[in-house]
Amino acid sequence: MTITSDNSNSASLIQAGGRPPLWRNAAVLKWTVQFAVLIGVLGVFWFLIAEARTNLSAKGIPVGYDWLDDPANFQLAEGIQTVDSPERRLTMSRALWVGMVNTLRIAGLGIIFATIIGVIVGVSRLSKNYVAKRFSSIYVETLRNIPVLVQIILWLAILGSLNKLTADTGPIPGWVIISQKGISLPRIFLADGFYQFASMLIVLSIGIRFINKALRRKQEREGGEQRVGLKTFGLFVIAVVISWIANPVMAFLGPIFSAVSDGWGSIPQGVMQVLLSVLAIAVAALWVKRFLDSRRTPAGLAKLIDDDWFRMIFAGVAALLGIFVLLRGWPGLSSWIVNSGSDFWGVLADKFGDGRGAMPFDAMRPTLSEGRFVNYGDTGLTLTVFYAALFLGLVFYTSSFIAEIVRGGILAVPSGQSEAAAALGLNRAQALRKVVLPQAFRVIMPPLGNQYLNITKNTSLGIAVGFSEIVQVGQTVYNKNSQTLAVFSIYMIFYLACSLTISAVVNTVNRRLAIVER
Amino acid sequence: MSETAVTSTPESRPPEEQRHSAGRWVKENLFSSISNSIQTVVFSAIILGLMRWILGQVFAEEADWTSVATNLRLLMSYNYPTDQFVRIWVSAAIVFLMIGLSLGAWRIDPGVSVRGAARTLISTGVLSLIIWLLLPEAAPGGISTALVIVGVGLIIVGAMVMQAVPHSRDRRLGFSAVLAIAVGVALAVIWLVPFGDYGVADGERYGTPGVSVASSTKVPWTIVLLGVLAFQAVGRALAPSVGAAVRRAIVAFWVVGPAFIIFLVLRDPAFDWAHVWSTDIPMAAAFALGGAGLLYVLGKPGREDLARAVGAMLVVFALFNWVAAFFGWYPMLQKARISFLLIALAVLLVPTFAGERAARIRFAAGWAGLMVVMHWLITGMNTESTLVIAAPPFLGGFVLTVGIAYYVMLVSFPLGVLLSLARTSKMPIFRVMSTTYIEVIRGVPLITVLFFFSIMLPLFLPKGMGISDLAAVFAGYTVFSAAYMAENIRGGLQSVRRGQYEAADALGLTTVQRTTLIVLPQALRVSIPNLVGQAIATFKETSLIAIVGGFDLLRIANSTIPNQPDFLGQKRPGLLFISVVYFVIAYTMSKSSQRLEARLQAGQAK
Repeated sequence: MTITSDNSNSASLIQAGGRPPLWRNAAVLKWTVQFAVLIGVLGVFWFLIAEARTNLSAKGIPVGYDWLDDPANFQLAEGIQTVDSPERRLTMSRALWVGMVNTLRIAGLGIIFATIIGVIVGVSRLSKNYVAKRFSSIYVETLRNIPVLVQIILWLAILGSLNKLTADTGPIPGWVIISQKGISLPRIFLADGFYQFASMLIVLSIGIRFINKALRRKQEREGGEQRVGLKTFGLFVIAVVISWIANPVMAFLGPIFSAVSDGWGSIPQGVMQVLLSVLAIAVAALWVKRFLDSRRTPAGLAKLIDDDWFRMIFAGVAALLGIFVLLRGWPGLSSWIVNSGSDFWGVLADKFGDGRGAMPFDAMRPTLSEGRFVNYGDTGLTLTVFYAALFLGLVFYTSSFIAEIVRGGILAVPSGQSEAAAALGLNRAQALRKVVLPQAFRVIMPPLGNQYLNITKNTSLGIAVGFSEIVQVGQTVYNKNSQTLAVFSIYMIFYLACSLTISAVVNTVNRRLAIVER
Repeated sequence: MSETAVTSTPESRPPEEQRHSAGRWVKENLFSSISNSIQTVVFSAIILGLMRWILGQVFAEEADWTSVATNLRLLMSYNYPTDQFVRIWVSAAIVFLMIGLSLGAWRIDPGVSVRGAARTLISTGVLSLIIWLLLPEAAPGGISTALVIVGVGLIIVGAMVMQAVPHSRDRRLGFSAVLAIAVGVALAVIWLVPFGDYGVADGERYGTPGVSVASSTKVPWTIVLLGVLAFQAVGRALAPSVGAAVRRAIVAFWVVGPAFIIFLVLRDPAFDWAHVWSTDIPMAAAFALGGAGLLYVLGKPGREDLARAVGAMLVVFALFNWVAAFFGWYPMLQKARISFLLIALAVLLVPTFAGERAARIRFAAGWAGLMVVMHWLITGMNTESTLVIAAPPFLGGFVLTVGIAYYVMLVSFPLGVLLSLARTSKMPIFRVMSTTYIEVIRGVPLITVLFFFSIMLPLFLPKGMGISDLAAVFAGYTVFSAAYMAENIRGGLQSVRRGQYEAADALGLTTVQRTTLIVLPQALRVSIPNLVGQAIATFKETSLIAIVGGFDLLRIANSTIPNQPDFLGQKRPGLLFISVVYFVIAYTMSKSSQRLEARLQAGQAK
């Protein structure tokens, strides 16, 4: 691992005249320097953390996460729960959770709208029409060169200068209301029967997928335009109609889920700990096996370099660390997994069952009460000014970047491709749909994923306009109890989870789009 | 690059069509088919509606633009004392003149064709007429008259130029000429246009509408703008003969110059000259001369092992100094500690870069220069300022925005290079550390990093060590930016072909030589467009200082001005104004980056 497997540099020295002296041995030097720097960095960290501990305990601030269950003692501007009430306590952890939900909500909606606007602008930048082209390029250049925070605050100032909210504020009084308080729209929301409807639709969709495959095989066998897409879409529409009407059929899932919930909840903590430990070891072992497989050549296992050993040892150490955390460091984690798993199935069981309304969706207009809008519940959708400012700022800013990405992606497809499609007799729309766009998507996807991440991270700018997203709520929390370090660790874990989720989705899509090379 | 194609032929239609009538162009580009006509109508409606809406925001009844005019000085330099304002002008002059010199020395020459310029004039004229038509009633009467005059005037001038220069005799206008025209127009505008004279004197705000701006603004700008013109010419003249030396000097200026401007010109430290002569200058001289001598001696070929041994000992000594500082064993000036660490690193590098007599002299002289500059700067930073400032941070507004953006880029660049090298290296511990750092930082939003630094950094520091708010925020920005920088440079590193490494090895270069002389120059060249993109992003992100407590453009426009009794709650004019400021700078940067990219690609192709 040390000298023999090292690069040609030291090997030639050995051949030239025996062992090189220690201070000229590349392998020794390399590892010495690395460990020295590692120890140095760890030492600095240790020192800083020790300092922080002394400084914090001098101020009488305990280190840890015990404060999560404390009552919050503050109100949130908006979210799934804003105030403390006897039946539903607003603890610190609950407040942070509300912040996270707000962040995710605005990020998700922002991603959808930014994509739609971005695609439209990006495509019209390539239009043959002079006005469309000019408009799109001005749109992109203006919006992407003004800082997003300035745009958000400008939106807040503009919305704040609008009319006061009364019963006949409009553009369309009673339906679409844009006022100082924000933007209110009618809303479609999930009603009682939604989960039954969704599960039935999933079951039917699986069936449709089989039919679709069969149709495609037929198309490939017989040729000709058999309108596979159209037929599949028709079947899907029929499935939606059937599920809409017949969804109470799925009520039988309720008892099944509650049985699963009970079963899950009765797993003892020790068993769960052992199961998870075995899982950790299995994952590490599997990883090492796959790694070794990738190093296998027709002539047998390739020579492993230091680096490979390091990776495998690292995997093992990670697994052991995980087991240590599960068994000794944080035994509560296992019981938490047991409890929350049981809760999850229990909640799911509640969504099914007899006597539920069969309507999967319902719609409501915004309702005005005491001169202001009701924000949540069975009512219209109201974006408060803070939400609206953040939302508009993020959407327009990001859409300008997405437009550039889309344009670049389409331009990246060689013109020979569309010419070839035309030569094959495809018309413009067919060529775009079947030849150009699938190839453009490959170029578009990775930077698009980056933009989605950026939207999610930029929601943190809500703090500047007073929107209760996770960073703003966290700030309120640590201003109350000075638990800065703990709150920052929560920020980090939350955002890392978001990043990982988005990149996982993007990578999956990308893999499916990748060219199959032979 | 379609952008560059657009800049070289300013209109997107091919040249031979230009001879045809405007009617034919309209038919071909706007109404060639039904869908094309629909697009024309829909997009025209959107454009007109948006313009009308934006004009409504600009000329809203309650939006009083005197708030911006009065507070222009606040927006530019925050609370800088009025009687010391000449310092601001000197700084601005230095920066602008150096920009002029740089433009000349690098022979940056984005020329335009005469007919293209005329077309731009005509379309600007048409645009101002459209704006005039869409103007809301609340707009002051002067504006609409001005729009008509400008619109009609521009169209007439443009049409006359088009007539005088037929397509066959179209010429390219050199950059010097364009710059001269631009400076002329700018001077005419500030001397002739009656913007009105607004401002604050002795805490009282005053305003005289209908006159041109105050001569305390006009005269310095005139000098600065004419100076830009002159320095551009000087730079151009020097470029062929001593171009390389001048360019090196300019680069050196751009690295240290802004720090001098901020800490020595603007901050005006009150040097205690007795102390300076007794301690600071001897110390700087000792480090500069002693270090240079040491480096010269150790750099001789054949003394590599000796140099490494001395370097290792010096590293140990330098680090020990810091340990000693934390435990308070013996006193030492911080700059001495820094200097010892730097000389240790320089001695370690000497076997790699010195050798020949000339190379050693260069290396030693570079060291001496670094020491002089560093000691001067640190002494300046540690000395109390003579300025009496109403609200404490002596830097704010536009100066702060630009200064932070500039220095974040400058400081995070070497960090980014190191991180990217570590991430691509074959040493696993370095790679894991660097990857963890980069991914964690890139995973969280900038604002959390800034909060972390501004709140937590004071907690982490040992007793007796403090850090100013702005410095903490700056550290946060740098740490954040370095991670992104590293990713951009890594892209460049990956584009360097394997053969380059092998060739360097075949020449017998050491790893350090291979990296700094072969790999990095190629990698950085490839990553320039991305780095400029990041510079733009950093510039825009400086607006987040407003959230963590600095008085940057955004904070002043969003909370300082609306809290003044005269302009209570007036946010929109200020915010629109700073939007324009941000836009102009970011747009210029992105355009020049596209031009640079095209130039680099052209260089690659040869």
